Amino acid sequence: MRLPRLALVTSVGLAAAAPAIGAVAIGEKLRPFKLDDATGKTVDLGGLQGRKAVVLMFIATQCPVSNSYNERMAALSREYGAKGVAFVGINSNRQESVEEIAGHAAEHGFTFPILKDVGNVQADHFGAQVTPEIYVYDPAWVLRYHGRIDDDRSGANVKSRDLRNALDAVLAGQAVPVAETKAFGCTIKRVGR
Amino acid sequence: MSAALLLAVVLAGPLDAAGIGRAVAAHRGRPVVLTLWATWCEPCVKEFPALAALARERKDVAFLSVSIDEPDDRKALEAFVAERRPPFPVYTRTPGPDQAFIDGVDREWSGVVPATLVYDREGRRVALLQGEHTRADIEKALARAKAERGAGS
Repeated sequence: MRLPRLALVTSVGLAAAAPAIGAVAIGEKLRPFKLDDATGKTVDLGGLQGRKAVVLMFIATQCPVSNSYNERMAALSREYGAKGVAFVGINSNRQESVEEIAGHAAEHGFTFPILKDVGNVQADHFGAQVTPEIYVYDPAWVLRYHGRIDDDRSGANVKSRDLRNALDAVLAGQAVPVAETKAFGCTIKRVGR
Repeated sequence: MSAALLLAVVLAGPLDAAGIGRAVAAHRGRPVVLTLWATWCEPCVKEFPALAALARERKDVAFLSVSIDEPDDRKALEAFVAERRPPFPVYTRTPGPDQAFIDGVDREWSGVVPATLVYDREGRRVALLQGEHTRADIEKALARAKAERGAGS
């Protein structure tokens, strides 16, 4: 009977991890952090100060929902990168290695860094639950948008381009029309504590 | 009966959020375990056997599941359900905006799957388990459903 033992171990891990998972709120200031990217280079978010916006994207290599947005993430980062917006990917999934992340990024033409969040420390701090899950900060590093990229995973019937709308608003110095959205995504695979 | 017909009968629904609410309410008098999941969701697939085993044992509890797979994934869903033969109905989801569906099911649900909601005999939601959880977690929530009923009666 392997299941009960496995269940017990996982249950203890989740019970212990649960209090560590927080959530950042709209209007809250970014707490800068440093993490190594998929190439081993340390990225300090403090170095992005002065950018017109910072987009943090919790993403995955194996999640079909996150993967359905690969092209849209690459295109948005190119388009808005040219306007002074910094895009940063974060991979918090325990089972996705830096080698896999680097290969996936190259395959999909990602030009933004992808940070490996070992031990899902940042996912816990932000309260990120799924991939893809997006956080947009304004030039004062205040959280202005949290949620999905858009409202259609397939990309064929998008009616609400939420990330684009948020970035356009931040760049124009206006209020983000819809500051929080929800969508289906893959669970971030956390380590047990 | 052809294989196509056999496959056709294993799925129920589709349900929108209001339909899910009605399906839960139809079991008033028994605790309900409602699971939302997808075939593309690895932890959902992983926890499926434990959920099925629990449902086979706990005849005093109504188990319902709703797949959020897209219509394009229906064949994969049918094959999965036909192979696993779970002891509870597997509903599909009415296509529509994700957020309205998520909030309609439960405002506190982030949209992460698997999500398991446990209701007491009066239909009050007593637990929302988001992400990977174990059979023991669901059993704890069911014990809470029973305890809360006792406290209220």
